[in-house]
Amino acid sequence: MAEGMRVEPDLEFIKYLKNAGGDTLKKCYQCATCSVVCPLSGDKKPFPRKEMIWAQWGLKDKLIADPDVMLCHQCGDCTAYCPRGAKPGDVLGAIRAYAYTHYGFPSGLAKLVSKGSNLPLIIALPALVIMAVWWLSGGMSLPAADAIDFGMFFDSHKDHPTIIAGLTLNVLLIDAIFVPALGFAVFAAYKGVSSMWRGMAAQLEVKSQFRPSAMQFVTEFLVPSVKEILAHKRFKECGTNLNRVNGHLPLVLSFIGLFVVTTYGMIRKDILGMFIEGMHGPIPLADPFKLLANISAIALIVGVGILWMNRAHTEEENNATPTFYDWFLIVEIMTVGITGLSAELTRLIGIPVLAYLFYYMHLVAVLMLFVYMPYSKLAHMVYRTFAMAFERYRESGFAKNIEG
Amino acid sequence: MDKKYGAYICTGCGIGDALDIAALTKAAKENGMEAKTHEALCSPSGRELIENDIANDGVNTVVVCACSPRVMKDEFNFGDDKYVTRANLREGVAWCVEEVTEKHTAEKVKEFATEKGQDYVRMACVQAKKGDVPDPYKLETINRKILVMGGGIAGMTAAMDAAKAGYAVTIIETQDKLGGKALGWRKQFPTAAPWTDLEEPTVQAMVDAVQAESAITVKSSTEVARIAGAPGAYKVTLKAAGTQSEWDAPKKVGVDEQDKISKGEMEDPNVGLQPYMADDAAAEDFGAVVLATGWNPADVSEYAHLGYGKLKGVVTNAEFEKLAKTGKVPANVAFVQSPGGAEHDQDFPYCNSVTSMVALKQARYVREDNAAGKAYVLYQHMRTPGNMEMFYKGAQNDDGIFMTKATVTQVEESGNGLAVHLKDTLLNEDVTLNVDMVVLAAGMVPTTSDKPTINLAYRQGPGFLDLELFDGYADSHFICFPYETRRTGVYACGGVRKAMNMEETIDDACGAALKAIQSIESADRGVAVHPRSGDGTYPEFFMQRCTQCKRCTEECPFGALDDDEKGTPKPNPTRCRRCGTCMGACPERIIGFKNYNIDQVGSMVKSIEVPDDDEDKLRIIVFACENDAYPALDMAAMRKLPQNALIRVVSVRCLGSVNMAWIKDALSAGMDGALLLGCKFGDDYQCHFVKGSELADKRMANIGETLGSLGLEPERCAVRQIAINEYNKVDEVINEFVEAIIGLGPNPFKGF
Repeated sequence: MAEGMRVEPDLEFIKYLKNAGGDTLKKCYQCATCSVVCPLSGDKKPFPRKEMIWAQWGLKDKLIADPDVMLCHQCGDCTAYCPRGAKPGDVLGAIRAYAYTHYGFPSGLAKLVSKGSNLPLIIALPALVIMAVWWLSGGMSLPAADAIDFGMFFDSHKDHPTIIAGLTLNVLLIDAIFVPALGFAVFAAYKGVSSMWRGMAAQLEVKSQFRPSAMQFVTEFLVPSVKEILAHKRFKECGTNLNRVNGHLPLVLSFIGLFVVTTYGMIRKDILGMFIEGMHGPIPLADPFKLLANISAIALIVGVGILWMNRAHTEEENNATPTFYDWFLIVEIMTVGITGLSAELTRLIGIPVLAYLFYYMHLVAVLMLFVYMPYSKLAHMVYRTFAMAFERYRESGFAKNIEG
Repeated sequence: MDKKYGAYICTGCGIGDALDIAALTKAAKENGMEAKTHEALCSPSGRELIENDIANDGVNTVVVCACSPRVMKDEFNFGDDKYVTRANLREGVAWCVEEVTEKHTAEKVKEFATEKGQDYVRMACVQAKKGDVPDPYKLETINRKILVMGGGIAGMTAAMDAAKAGYAVTIIETQDKLGGKALGWRKQFPTAAPWTDLEEPTVQAMVDAVQAESAITVKSSTEVARIAGAPGAYKVTLKAAGTQSEWDAPKKVGVDEQDKISKGEMEDPNVGLQPYMADDAAAEDFGAVVLATGWNPADVSEYAHLGYGKLKGVVTNAEFEKLAKTGKVPANVAFVQSPGGAEHDQDFPYCNSVTSMVALKQARYVREDNAAGKAYVLYQHMRTPGNMEMFYKGAQNDDGIFMTKATVTQVEESGNGLAVHLKDTLLNEDVTLNVDMVVLAAGMVPTTSDKPTINLAYRQGPGFLDLELFDGYADSHFICFPYETRRTGVYACGGVRKAMNMEETIDDACGAALKAIQSIESADRGVAVHPRSGDGTYPEFFMQRCTQCKRCTEECPFGALDDDEKGTPKPNPTRCRRCGTCMGACPERIIGFKNYNIDQVGSMVKSIEVPDDDEDKLRIIVFACENDAYPALDMAAMRKLPQNALIRVVSVRCLGSVNMAWIKDALSAGMDGALLLGCKFGDDYQCHFVKGSELADKRMANIGETLGSLGLEPERCAVRQIAINEYNKVDEVINEFVEAIIGLGPNPFKGF
């Protein structure tokens, strides 16, 4: 007798999904209304209908290597139209949360970040690191109200910076924390994404001899995907949660803006600062980069605020289940924005206690954002981008299994 | 009784416009009746006109020439002692006049309609003269006790309901205790909101209630040897279950078989048994029977690819229930609902919706007994009607219950367990499951399918007839007459009637108990139970002229007639449904009802005026079944569809009651054709009396041959099938026949 796919449902996986926001998954009865309304669904891949039955049957391996799951941006059309209240959108979110943990490297950290009950530890770790560096730097004292300079935060002197090898102590310590953190996050994300890619490619059973070169990969698959993301093209195909674009787009742009400003700040303070001492101080408000920074900060708060309200509203209407996975990221980004802006304002007004407190919290929040990026919902930034690249790869000649 | 006639012609509802009323009055006068006219006979003043004549002139036979006999029944009911006949002038004539065309002018249309109306008036007058009010048949003594066969959920419920209604009941059960199949269930389906969870069995509580009920006598380890007699007067011989008795119901021995037996060519199958007409003095009296003998699990060994009987671990749902009742079930179980493999997607026979729900229930057992239990429900159809949808949703919500539509292509051994191979799954891939056990959703086969079960001592044999039409179920007509079997006084419920769950069974049993009560009370009043409920007539036999041809005893669809050794029929009026099939069958024309008999209808046919010199005025007699064809004609008229004016319609109780003498009467009177309009017959028959239209078809084929020998074209006689909803087709069917007759030309015997 011809063997079919050997099916061995994973009961633990089902239990996980149910606890991670997919508690409605067993309600699906395969009517395919979701596939009709979903803009991602193709002729031969009824998405997310097939994912729903895979989830019901606990077919973990199929789901975590399914690019479609990563491509979904949870617009909520499927959930809104589902006649059984099975909330496919939430189930897919839960599958992604599981996938980030599953692919996460190192897995211990990934698991830590996936559970709401670990929240005190999740906050305490970066908080302690910053606190320890602050204490070791000897900078735990308040400056005068008219001379608050966060460039002196990790510095016992509050009027002139301690210079080591042409750089301020503060810059050195900031870099010592954040450069490795960022490097770690990028490496961890790389490990996770490449493991996902291998899984997806294995499911696809590509037998072609031809592989894209690194250059081809970037120009043909990755760059077009990034462009598409920036244009928010797929978001706009959604019917139900269209105003999420209004939140997500400013948020993405603000991230880019803040990235530009941070790079500028690094060049200005860390490189030019080695030669020109005046470059160490706060960037003047009239500087165009400072202007961009402030606009970005406001865009970030407004953007995440819109997403916050959006999500709360959807949950109120019982169209989504509240999960740690979703709320952690929203609150986290909001914290980054609020603490950053508050630190700047209290600095300008001249309240040293508050300015330093907010700045400390801001550093902790940013560090959390960096380190936890590969495991939190923010991981979608990389997983989704690469899933979109994979989608392009899947449609390309490389994956067509041409003989030879 | 001395008849005093009163004839009345209504001119309302368009009758006065479409017909020449003076001509109608003349037609009544030909029959010696002075017809009075009124513009609305059904109105209070119209009724008053008739009632005054009844009161002042002693009128007791009323001829109402107005609307169809199917309507205004109460308005024209003047008491049980007044005989009323109806001429259908409204639906039959005025509302179905032919279309006016250049050739067929308005005057012509009215002339043809008036002639039709005149004939209907004549026929109603003759009907009144030849008919009489019913004189119901009364049993000398009536027994009101109800026999319930089977002590399961159905039987116990029927017994309790009958007892609550004030009737004494005896339950007989072949097993040594009450409870039936339900005793073997570990859990039962939900019966209350939220309809999601299994319930503890309630059968023991039912058993206790039945045993505490003083009106119910329980006889366990007992079965029926034979049931003789008729509703209101059954004589039932009981015996210990599993034993033989000289009173066991004898097998049917037909005329040919009897012949062979007497010639020694065949062994008598009833050696050692009392003849079916023998009287057992020890028999117990009952008034009606509820058949609740239930079902047996179906044999599933014919499906080789599923491996039942060959592979260890492949069991039926009934066997799995037993396992679950006594111990722990395995952790990985596949429930196979449909056995067709690649050939078809049907479920197991006799499953209805029950086995779907049983699979869900048993999947729950897998989960209850095993922390990591996995139950796979593999279906082509998931049937969970009504509130059971919630039960389905509940099972679906269980983490360890996996459902998919699937074609199960093969079950085979694999390691220590079984491998189940699936195709066409919802997972969009061929799938192989590794399980410990495979459960097949075997259906519920009615106990009537392979044994007579009811064990009647009847002329037509101990069991129900034509069971092959219903896959072994004993219904006479499942949709139109639930609970009715082909034997009046015997009402089926529960698993013997349909594969059903406990809740359905409880409702069903109540229905059967009520029908049994209705049957007893109808017998007491001497009226029919169904479908002619309340009909006080019954077939009367003029035995002196009987030739013992046995046609009536053979053809009665309900086995109402027994006979003696010579073959003289012995009527059992309380078994009778008043269809008149015996009357239609009798070549000696000795069977008839007070208000429906050979002479009466024959005279009505002969009263039709047949012009013998006008080739445009052919006359075609139509015998239309009152249950399907006649209502269809009325409905067509209500929609003002034109009807051929050459036809003359007679309403009959059933085509089976049409005696061929009437056809001969019509043709010898010079009529040009005879059409029988009745219901569908065959596998999906719609006949109220099961066999009527089919029998009529056979008889008409025979008469066709006779006509041929007389030099008449056999095509002048035909049977056509019309369903009650085919009002839009009926004129087409009639026109086609009339056109064929016109093609044949006038009856050559016209004018003789």
